[in-house]
Amino acid sequence: MRRGFLLLCAPAVLFTLVMIAFPFGYGFWMSLQKFDFTGAPQFIGSANYLRLMDDPRFWTGMRVTILLYVISLVSQLIIGTYLAVLLHSSKGLRNLVRTVIISPFIMPPVVVGMTWLVLLDPSIGAANYVLTKVGLPPSEWLASPQWVVPTIAMIDTWQWSPYIALIVLGGLQSLPVSVYEAAQIDGAPRRAVFWRITLPLLMPTIATAAILRSVDLLRFFDIIYITTQGGPGNASATLNIYGFRMGFEFFEFGYASALVITLSTVVLGSVLALTRLRNAVTW
Amino acid sequence: MLRFATVAIVIALSAQAHAAEFDWRKHEGETITLLKSNHPWPKAVLAYQDEFEKLTGIKLKLDTYQEQQMRQRLVTVLNSRSNEIDIYMSLPSREGPQFAKAGWYADLAPYLKSAPAEYEAGDLSKALMGAATFDGLVSTIPLNIEGPVMYYRTDVMKECGVDVPDSLEAMVDAAKALKECKPDMVPFSSRGLKPAMPYTYSVFFHNMGGQYVTSGKSTFCSDAGVKALSLYGDLLRDYGPPGVVNNSYTQITALYRAGRSIMSFGSSNEFGPVMEGGARLNDTKIDLLPPGAGGSRPTVIGWGIAISAFSDKKDAAWYFVQWATSPEMQARLALKGLAPPRSNVASTPEYKAWLEEVPLRKEWFDTIKRAAATGNSNIGFPIVANPQSREYIGQAANETMLGEKSAADACKAADVELQRLVDADG
Amino acid sequence: MNEVWIRRINGLQLFIVGIIILIPIYWMVGSSFKPPADVTAYPPKFIFEPTLANYHDLFSTTPFFRYLLNSIIVAGGSTLLGLALGMPAAFVVSWSRVNWPAVLVLAARMAPGMIFLLPWYMMFREVGLIGSHISMVLAYSVITLPIAIWVLLPFFDQVPRSILEAAQVDGCNTLRVLWRVAIPMVMPGIVVTTILCFVFSWNYFLFALILSNGETKTLIAASFNFIGEGATNWGTLMAAATMIALPPLVLAGLMQRWLVSGLVVGAVKG
Repeated sequence: MRRGFLLLCAPAVLFTLVMIAFPFGYGFWMSLQKFDFTGAPQFIGSANYLRLMDDPRFWTGMRVTILLYVISLVSQLIIGTYLAVLLHSSKGLRNLVRTVIISPFIMPPVVVGMTWLVLLDPSIGAANYVLTKVGLPPSEWLASPQWVVPTIAMIDTWQWSPYIALIVLGGLQSLPVSVYEAAQIDGAPRRAVFWRITLPLLMPTIATAAILRSVDLLRFFDIIYITTQGGPGNASATLNIYGFRMGFEFFEFGYASALVITLSTVVLGSVLALTRLRNAVTW
Repeated sequence: MLRFATVAIVIALSAQAHAAEFDWRKHEGETITLLKSNHPWPKAVLAYQDEFEKLTGIKLKLDTYQEQQMRQRLVTVLNSRSNEIDIYMSLPSREGPQFAKAGWYADLAPYLKSAPAEYEAGDLSKALMGAATFDGLVSTIPLNIEGPVMYYRTDVMKECGVDVPDSLEAMVDAAKALKECKPDMVPFSSRGLKPAMPYTYSVFFHNMGGQYVTSGKSTFCSDAGVKALSLYGDLLRDYGPPGVVNNSYTQITALYRAGRSIMSFGSSNEFGPVMEGGARLNDTKIDLLPPGAGGSRPTVIGWGIAISAFSDKKDAAWYFVQWATSPEMQARLALKGLAPPRSNVASTPEYKAWLEEVPLRKEWFDTIKRAAATGNSNIGFPIVANPQSREYIGQAANETMLGEKSAADACKAADVELQRLVDADG
Repeated sequence: MNEVWIRRINGLQLFIVGIIILIPIYWMVGSSFKPPADVTAYPPKFIFEPTLANYHDLFSTTPFFRYLLNSIIVAGGSTLLGLALGMPAAFVVSWSRVNWPAVLVLAARMAPGMIFLLPWYMMFREVGLIGSHISMVLAYSVITLPIAIWVLLPFFDQVPRSILEAAQVDGCNTLRVLWRVAIPMVMPGIVVTTILCFVFSWNYFLFALILSNGETKTLIAASFNFIGEGATNWGTLMAAATMIALPPLVLAGLMQRWLVSGLVVGAVKG
């Protein structure tokens, strides 16, 4: 078995080491250099990391990242769970419903970003037309520094709530029937059953969904790269966007590497913390 | 008369004799790769790709990106000193100093020197060639000449009794009057998107009397600088389109073409797209931005074509460059609406006839010529980190436009970062 | 009575959710069939005369089918490679309960994509694979491999150990147990994995932007070109968006039942 284990794992592990370890190592090495493409890299130790601590844009990026993360995650967990309960009580998934539910998160982010860009355009977009038709003031959506993060969170929630719904639905379907029978005998009202029994039992599943989304949300990139590039001002410049522009537009590649390595650490730390949290709510 | 004709014939013959000496087939069978953006230039020139391949026997491969993605790919390729790309489009006024310092441009000076007489190397715009030369290294050959120009809807302005403003300050009054007269239209539009707006903002800044760097100190926040920033911010905040902070040329062009904006400050390069459909041909006036306290100091730049320092086929690559930027080709491209960076091309009878054909075309080209005569290409700071300086300029303008900070405060915050860039500039 | 009303209200809520999900998709597809002038018209046109002009423009001005082919090669190739590497790994991780290989492949998911771009380009240049399909397949397998392992793991977990052990006692080596016994039992999982790998590889754009060249560019990378100098041609852009989204949507539509169960198993047991 041991030989078999090595034999079967080796290709995947080797592939990972070659494709991932080298870039990580390179990125880390670069993060210790002053390198702007115009000359040889210069070793400067931890200077890039120290500079991060003093960089107001880094902290803006951190704030945007966390804000976007919290708003998106909370809204899609709530909407996803609501949707799951709705689907669960609607006598199974019909094919049409299932296809519709899958569509948003199966679509390329580029396509999602471009489509919402058209819908939300402040001058020609259909969203503002509908708003003004029903008597609400038009919004500047992605062009408003106050609304840009909620707007991007809304797009992401549109795309990923259905995914969370499917996961939570799976959790619902595997809940033990006996618990409900007991509750029914007790004559507990539906609402109480949901809050006291169903939701606590679902917590591990919801936590899993949260971990899966966290990894992507903390590195938020695609939709912003396509819609706002981090603007207006720096209102939607997540750490990932800031790092990318710092490296590929402003050429401060050493500094950008320090930023990206820091972000990777943040993601890793958060996932570990969330995993512990999930274990704590697992029955 | 006869003597004159003889001289003319002799000159023509000698030019031809020279042409015969130039061996276009020298690099037959080689393959070269061009990295290009979706600027109008490659679209126009590549309509003749077959002619180039037939003339030289060189095969041309293409790799197309949007401008921003093109640069991201270029950085990766050139940083690895890869020979994957032989020729690329570059904006010397932006990345020129950076790329030159990194050694990513092949020096084109020797090629220019040995180019045949009919190439007329001396006729290429001196200003643009100067802006593309770094410590004697010729980085790029100009492909076109462009700059920000004002597009005015004369019919609407007449109807509202508003004159074309004759000074920067008068623009606010004009915009205000237009807003009252036509509340459904956008009185003034210009770029607001952070990385794109220094292109238009720089003209406001210079006309107001500003200068980016004065003897090693950032003077972005001089009195003139603060005034320019507050004017640009006020105009766009109070009279600009909704969501202007995310606007680049695409939105500005679309708005003006659709007849929804009245005064529009866009690129001369957008002339074609703006006039598409023909609705704007008869109600538009094109002019430079009105002068301010510092006079009229328009911006003029040109996209350029460069040969990669890491290309294995520089000579074959030069063949393409020479062919694509020859007077003959630039004359043909001029008729497709690309303002030529050569004065001889601009004065051919065909081009003059083309300009006369539509009155607005002539006005458009005269405006570019006026810009070229007095203009500069200082979009952002004249330092190696020019792209990053644009970021901070854009940041200050965004904050002003959004009313998050006063022009003075926004300026001060940006100035700290800008001074850091100036200090770091070796 | 009560039950009936609850069901009706649920149905209504589901209907509304469905509409919200479909509006952007409808808008994208609808805009792609609008005459160019109507795409950016304001007020927006809800009723218009459908036209194929945008699709005609898309197919005639871009080497669309070459990009399509590249996308299929890269997404397909990386799916196969991801499965080839991921299947055996998932199997032994499940069997031996030694988790570190599965955790290791997840490392790539923690880092922003940009960290890979320069080093990969340099690596591929060293071995002369720049711009090739092979380099793109390798890069995109970094996306497919973790999906393959983590989606397959719970399926392998469900295979009764007794069956595997019996096969081993019969003299099969580990590879043979995997091939002859385990894989046929997790076929549904493999179908789901294949679809998910293909879709997520198809959808990812950053690697292709840097690693592909004019000949190997994928559809996703090429889609950026429609936002161009001059007025963006929104109609053509939406036509391109529709065409790019079509393969994932069709796959998902055809395989929805399997896909849903696979996703659910993966997340609930994982």
